[in-house]
Amino acid sequence: MSSKRHSTAPPPPKPPTQFSSTSSLIIADAASLIGTHLISLSSNTIIHPRTKLISTYAPITVGSNCILSERATIGLQSEPSEGLSQGVVIADYVVVEVGARVEAKSVGEGCIIEVNSKIGKGAVLGKHCKIGPMCVVAENEELADYTVVYGNGMQRVDRSGVEHLKFKMIARQVDVLRKLIPGNLPKFINRT
Amino acid sequence: MSRKPAKGEYIETDTGNKVSRRSQIIGTTNIILGGKTVIQAEVIIRGDLLRTSSSVPDGGKQSNPVAVAIGRYCIFSRGCELRPPGKMYKGTFSHYPLKIADHVFIGPGSIIEAALVGSHVSIGANCVIGKFTIIKDYVRILGGTVVPPNIVIPSFSVVAGRPGRVVGEIAEGEVEGFDLRELYRSVGNNT
Repeated sequence: MSSKRHSTAPPPPKPPTQFSSTSSLIIADAASLIGTHLISLSSNTIIHPRTKLISTYAPITVGSNCILSERATIGLQSEPSEGLSQGVVIADYVVVEVGARVEAKSVGEGCIIEVNSKIGKGAVLGKHCKIGPMCVVAENEELADYTVVYGNGMQRVDRSGVEHLKFKMIARQVDVLRKLIPGNLPKFINRT
Repeated sequence: MSRKPAKGEYIETDTGNKVSRRSQIIGTTNIILGGKTVIQAEVIIRGDLLRTSSSVPDGGKQSNPVAVAIGRYCIFSRGCELRPPGKMYKGTFSHYPLKIADHVFIGPGSIIEAALVGSHVSIGANCVIGKFTIIKDYVRILGGTVVPPNIVIPSFSVVAGRPGRVVGEIAEGEVEGFDLRELYRSVGNNT
């Protein structure tokens, strides 16, 4: 017996979206895109169920071949200060794992943001950074390319030079996830 | 709370599983519950992340593929997540099944990407269990631990810290506290 209760509040308005390609982008049905600013997503990006993209305060731009996992929250959660009007910009080949909270000004190509980590508002991550599980990047902090944040806020630079392998792995992972996760793109299309 | 009073929070299955209506279970056909397992609200189980390495199933079996296998008397507290781990192997990317044995307690907010969790394992709150970790029997993982990927935790260990290390052993007398039957009975619609 599924007697649907009608909530008294109207559903929140859909945020304006811009998708560069509608065939290769996967947004799971249970993902939530909310807010009023533009959310633009590029090709081959996978958005898992229960991922939150919040554009209430500023726009969100996500590059191609990104994987945004469940419970991750992308987007500013408070009023942007000066110089943050472009919102959160995520480059290509970025993996955001479960429960991470990303309010960064920009996330460079090939970054891996692991489980439950937090990237503060206005932070800038260089290319190929890796943020370990439950690690925190402070507000407005800038990380150079290849920085690894691990343990209790320790940092080191990893120049092992395996970026092409990582790209290959992410591309394969995207291919696999595209088969596994049923996308529901039409639900999220809202051109303005 | 405007919940309907007639329906309780938990759905009880024939095999005694108590599954919260507010849990978020994806890919139910690929999940095996051994029975008498409690799944609380806001638990995410990713049954959709299946093995894809070979398009032909092992030995040509026609049975359902398994992404998450759970034994008896397991308790998954509010907001934890079970996610089959994935890796590259021989040039292809695939997820691998997550197996959980009996009497496993998982604390609130913990994220489990292990390959195997043995019997009588207790995982505290807000832990992160890395990909392809193997946890043997009678292990206690304290709250807030980050267990690194690919490690094997031997039986009767106590693990804590970031990164998680074995910090102690479980004495023989302590084994009693791992039985979850009492806890299973205490969860339900009447309480």
